[in-house]
Amino acid sequence: MIGLVDGNNFFVSCERVINPRLVGKPVAVLSNNDGCCVSRSNEFKSLGIQMGTPYFQLKERPDFNNLVFCSSNYELYGDISRRIISILRDEAVDVEQYSIDEAFIRPPSVELMEYGKRLRAKILKWTGIPCGVGFAATKTLAKIANHIGKKLPEGVFVMPEDPTEILSSLPVEEVWGIGRRMGERLRMRGITTAAELRDIPDSFIRSIGSVVTVRTASELRGVEAVVDKNYDADPDSVSCSRSFGTPVTTVDALAESVASFASQAAEKMRRHKMVAEGCNVYAQFGTACDSRWVERTVVFEAPTNATNEILNAITKIVGALYIPAVKYRKSGVVFFGLSKEDAARQMSLFDMPNESSGKLKKLYKTVDGLNRNFGRGKVFSASEGIKREWKMKRSLLSKRATTFWDELMEVK
Amino acid sequence: MKKTQIAGSVVAGFPSPAEQYLEPPLDLNELLVKHPAATYFVRVQGDSMIGRGIYDGDILVVDRSLDPCDGDVVIAAVDGEFTVKTLSLSKGARRIENGGEIKLVAANPKYHDIILKSGQELNYFGKVTACIHRFRKGIQV
Repeated sequence: MIGLVDGNNFFVSCERVINPRLVGKPVAVLSNNDGCCVSRSNEFKSLGIQMGTPYFQLKERPDFNNLVFCSSNYELYGDISRRIISILRDEAVDVEQYSIDEAFIRPPSVELMEYGKRLRAKILKWTGIPCGVGFAATKTLAKIANHIGKKLPEGVFVMPEDPTEILSSLPVEEVWGIGRRMGERLRMRGITTAAELRDIPDSFIRSIGSVVTVRTASELRGVEAVVDKNYDADPDSVSCSRSFGTPVTTVDALAESVASFASQAAEKMRRHKMVAEGCNVYAQFGTACDSRWVERTVVFEAPTNATNEILNAITKIVGALYIPAVKYRKSGVVFFGLSKEDAARQMSLFDMPNESSGKLKKLYKTVDGLNRNFGRGKVFSASEGIKREWKMKRSLLSKRATTFWDELMEVK
Repeated sequence: MKKTQIAGSVVAGFPSPAEQYLEPPLDLNELLVKHPAATYFVRVQGDSMIGRGIYDGDILVVDRSLDPCDGDVVIAAVDGEFTVKTLSLSKGARRIENGGEIKLVAANPKYHDIILKSGQELNYFGKVTACIHRFRKGIQV
């Protein structure tokens, strides 16, 4: 069994944890440079304002003054995300963080409905974030169960052993990993629902789609397949982690491992022409039965996919992950706040040092090409800095209440 | 073959006899933060709790995972603002679920009690488990 836990309206929920004034109001969080709505409260959604609506358009609305907007506070979201993951690690057998607000878990063998409710209640109480929880045989089915669970008052849904009824009413393009384009191609061949995709033979799918679609169909049948290897689709999360062959005990070796994973992830982002707002860096130590984690959130000064910028930011906090006399077994990075490179540039037209970033792009194209041809890591960054020439615009930023001492919440 | 090299430490010779006594230094987090995932730090504004030794500018350690009991110092949201007060339940009730009147009481006679009307829910944020009071106010972290 696989569970998917994700935060409801995650960014807005985080803002509400530190600011009770936002409760019950139509609130939206804006993307970097206050571009467009990326997270909406239920009150905001019920006004019919879609995800991705540009902020400047909303200024025209007669009810604009009743709407509440926040700039992306990735320091806060990253911190609360880490809290949720650490609770999941305490409660589940295995946890795979998928993005800043969702994680797949392997639940223990207990009654799942009760377990899900308990998990949800604990996350809500400890962090203040309401979650949706879905359980099913595979990740793809767990995604569907999670969507159903989120709409239920108890927030939890366990996929029945025979999910035919649910899959028959689910449009095929809403299946995780299918998307609009593949959905259209399937529809042209008469496949309109998730159940139909599940029930057609693989050979037929192969004639329309890629091997990825075959895997998705397999997952719909309840057979686990690797689903996170879709090189064509833009990832909604980029992460890299590995268990060490030999336990790591020095700060240098720990830093090296984290830097190597971050470089790989940066390469993946550049391949997809995506940039990230920041990342969570973590390391695991202890024994298999009693494992413990240390984690830190890094927010880049501006969204980036440049290895040296990422390494500069990460290097500063690796020291904080290190505990002397501890044997590290695993480390990793999870990038968040992903957006298209071009979109990010468009929004910061005036701040962009186009010359240096153009050069950087060329440089990394060369570096990535060399690494592809001669093996990964042949060309790497010496971790030397370039000057920060521009900063993100975040005019409606709330307090970074969990990562900066001088921005704590105030109580009277 | 693509391969990620992870450098591990190689121990040569005899292990240091001191190694088995090696302990990490004392860590205030360990002392003050029992549930890191549920703990928030907040800054006190004003003098409403000076009777409990909580002063303007102090930093409070707040644990959300703990249930509030009668007499606890708690953080709650009242009219859209966070407030720190002593939780006072009606006689005999130790926990909120036991019903009865809920009051948020200041530790300074200048302030009135905040009495929740019947049916009004306490917007509980967390329990204050420690207060960090620094003597030289000039220095902010």
